[in-house]
Amino acid sequence: MGLARYPGDQFLTNVVRIFSETLIPQQMANSLVVAVGDALVTCVLSFISAYALVFFPVRWGSVVFALIPATIMLPLDIRVITTYQVASNVLSPINALLDITGVNGLIAQVFGAPVMLEWSVLNTHFGLIAPLVAHGTGTFLFRQFFLVLPRDLVKAARMDGAGPIRFLFDILLPLSRPSFAALFVLTFLGGWTQYLWPLVASSTPNMQTAVVGLARLAPDTEGVMPDFPLIMAGAVVVSIIPLVMIAVLQRYLVRGLVLSEK
Amino acid sequence: MSSPPQALFANRWLPVLLVTPLALLIVIFFYVPIFQAFYWSFFLERPFGGGSIFVGWANFARVLSDPQFWEAGKRTVIFMVIGSSLAVLVPLIPAVAADRQVRLSQPARNVLVWPKGVAGASIGVIFAFIFNPFVGILSPLNQWFPGIWAPGIDGTDAFIMLIAAHVWSGIPFNFVILLAGLQSLPRTMHQAAAMDGAGARRRIFDVQLPLIMPQVFLTPVLEFTESITSAFALVDTMTKGGLGGSTNLLVYKIYVDGFNGYDLSGAATQTAILMVFVVLLTGAQFALLGRRINYER
Repeated sequence: MGLARYPGDQFLTNVVRIFSETLIPQQMANSLVVAVGDALVTCVLSFISAYALVFFPVRWGSVVFALIPATIMLPLDIRVITTYQVASNVLSPINALLDITGVNGLIAQVFGAPVMLEWSVLNTHFGLIAPLVAHGTGTFLFRQFFLVLPRDLVKAARMDGAGPIRFLFDILLPLSRPSFAALFVLTFLGGWTQYLWPLVASSTPNMQTAVVGLARLAPDTEGVMPDFPLIMAGAVVVSIIPLVMIAVLQRYLVRGLVLSEK
Repeated sequence: MSSPPQALFANRWLPVLLVTPLALLIVIFFYVPIFQAFYWSFFLERPFGGGSIFVGWANFARVLSDPQFWEAGKRTVIFMVIGSSLAVLVPLIPAVAADRQVRLSQPARNVLVWPKGVAGASIGVIFAFIFNPFVGILSPLNQWFPGIWAPGIDGTDAFIMLIAAHVWSGIPFNFVILLAGLQSLPRTMHQAAAMDGAGARRRIFDVQLPLIMPQVFLTPVLEFTESITSAFALVDTMTKGGLGGSTNLLVYKIYVDGFNGYDLSGAATQTAILMVFVVLLTGAQFALLGRRINYER
């Protein structure tokens, strides 16, 4: 008994077993869709909302900003029960609104039945991604960056005849590339390593992400010695993509981490 | 908000259009669930949508009189405090070393960020193996002193295992923040202290550490929220909240009550309590620590 002191020659055998005996390869494709989807959508939406809030005279801007800090304080894992309920019917707030305002009573009298809209996003890629995007860090990050840009940038652009859209694509976007990369790496890793949300939001094994699939390789019953070689090979396989990403895009990740602290 | 920094574009509908997608997502998947947690905590909710009855504070009375809730709450606080403090103090040592440019600090700086790519659940699975009493690294210890390490039976051992896994997973973020703090200190301070005859140790404890106190105290603020999130994946993969509740943290209990026990009202009530606790704690930390530890730079 005890840990072997030197690595044996079975590593490749175990990796091959991961690919042939488990659903991990397909689940890694899910992880990739979730992580890339989360990172891309977060980057784009945060970028355009920060742009709107910094470069336009919007009176309701501070109201929108007030909505953000709470999203950083209360991560998805805390509010998972009710987020699950909302995801099981995304249109339920509209139903509730119709009920409260009495519109539904009116509709029921006229048409015989109240409106009950239903749209479940559970067990879909969209459902796996959307709650992860509902987060304000990215908007903060871009705002921070926009605020330190030279004050005369907009003036110069307008003098040259550029409108808001032109300014966004031709001036702001190229300047923001490093911030984009930092946020992308950070959210990609966040999406890849999610556990609780993909666990509850995916009801079939082939919609689960690789991390969930890995945790499911361990036996549920007490007292059974798990198949450690298989599980450890799985842990290596599941972690290889984010690890390579970190090793290569190190400076963007560090930048992202430092920025996200502010 | 600070005053508008630069010349602005005048357009009424474009900003609305640009903000709407993210705002909509945040409202639907953040504010509606939070509202619903508080709403449900005042109703007796039947699973599978069988209607609900208003019960006032009855859910709170039920949850607050449940000893299991207090036990889980206590464990959560212990986990947060010990886990977060260690998660900041442990990376402080390599951060100071890397700042002093000891040998191999360049590759170490790269490698120390890698745990960020290993999911909490993967860490749980791996640490469950490393700390396995029969085949893990501590198994020789059990051969010499039978039964001294038994995370499958002993609640304290299991708790230590959770903390170790949590601290390991927190190294990247805290290391990066602390190192950034150390590197932002002006070099002249080092030189001045060295000229005054302060040795390396003296400079670390009397110059560097006091000056990065803002980072040392502000990272736990973020670490607290992080510890709640990381806790679920670790508990679920390592102990399943077992061992007489000694590893049953609140996030895990909420999940089990809601998804396995179908006690939606109870789970929502505990969610509401946990959220209020986290917001108060974070707010208090920002208000108190943020102001007090503000050294002149």
